Amino acid sequence: MARILVTDDAAFMRLQLKDIFEKMGHEVVGEAADGKEAIEKFEELQPDLVTMDITMPEMDGVEASKEIMKNHPDAKIVMCSAMGQQAMVIEAVELGAKDFIVKPFTPERVEEAISRVI
Amino acid sequence: MSAVTQENFESVKYLLNGTISSIKKVIPMDLDVNQPSRLENHLQLEFGVLIGITGDLQGRLVLSANSQVFSSVGESMYGIPLEGEMLSSFSGELGNMIAGNISSIIHEEDINLDITAPTIMEGSTKVKGFSKALQMQVDLKDKGNMDVCLLLDQ
Repeated sequence: MARILVTDDAAFMRLQLKDIFEKMGHEVVGEAADGKEAIEKFEELQPDLVTMDITMPEMDGVEASKEIMKNHPDAKIVMCSAMGQQAMVIEAVELGAKDFIVKPFTPERVEEAISRVI
Repeated sequence: MSAVTQENFESVKYLLNGTISSIKKVIPMDLDVNQPSRLENHLQLEFGVLIGITGDLQGRLVLSANSQVFSSVGESMYGIPLEGEMLSSFSGELGNMIAGNISSIIHEEDINLDITAPTIMEGSTKVKGFSKALQMQVDLKDKGNMDVCLLLDQ
C-alpha cells in the first residue's frame, strides 16, 4: 500500500483519483489544489507518490515538480494533465516525472502508471 | 490575402478543427457539432466555463449550456450524475480537458498553445471584449445542446 498525495485544482478530479487509489488499496494521505500547496504537503507528509496536474493557479505543476525534485531527487511524481503534447511530456520526464497520464483517463490507465512506479 | 492574414486564417482553421476533434474525443456521447458561425455581439450565458488561450493564438474558449447538460456529460464520463459544487468543479475540468486536448492536437501543426486554469460562470453572465468570435453548437441529442465559443483577440 502506498501513501499518495493528489494534486489538482479541481475538487472533482481529486475525488476521482482518490476513489481509484482507494479501490487499488492505496491511501490518499493528502490533497493539494495548487503547486504551492503540493510542495508544502510533500514536505509535511513525505508521500510515496505524488500525482501532479499541470495547469493550476498560484503555481503550476511543472514548477512545483521542479521544486520538489530539487530537495527530494528520489520523489516519485506522476503528471496527470489535459495538456498531452509531446514537448510537455518530454519536459516532465526530463525533470524526473515517472509517467504522464493524459486526461481524460481511465482507471486502468491510472492503475498501470501507479503499479509501474511503486 | 497577405502572408500574415493567410497564416492567421490557417491557424484559426486548425484551432476550429482541433476544437471539434477534441470535443468528440473527450465527450463519450452520441453528438453532432453544427457548422461554426460568427458571433457578432456579446456572449450571454447562464452557466459555463471559460479557459484562457495563450501562445501562438490569443483568446478564450467558452463552453456554455444548461447545468443539467453538464451534469449529463459528467454522467457519461464518470457514471454518476453531478450537482452542486462537484458539478461546478467537473464543468471546469471538462473545459480544461477540451482545451488541453485542443492544445495537444494542434501542436501537431506546429501551433503552440498554453491554457489557463478554468473560470466557472454561474448566473446571468455577459462576455464582451473580443475582436472575433466563432460559435458552434454541440448537439447532444436527447441530453440537450452545448455552445462552444472561440473568442479571439486578434
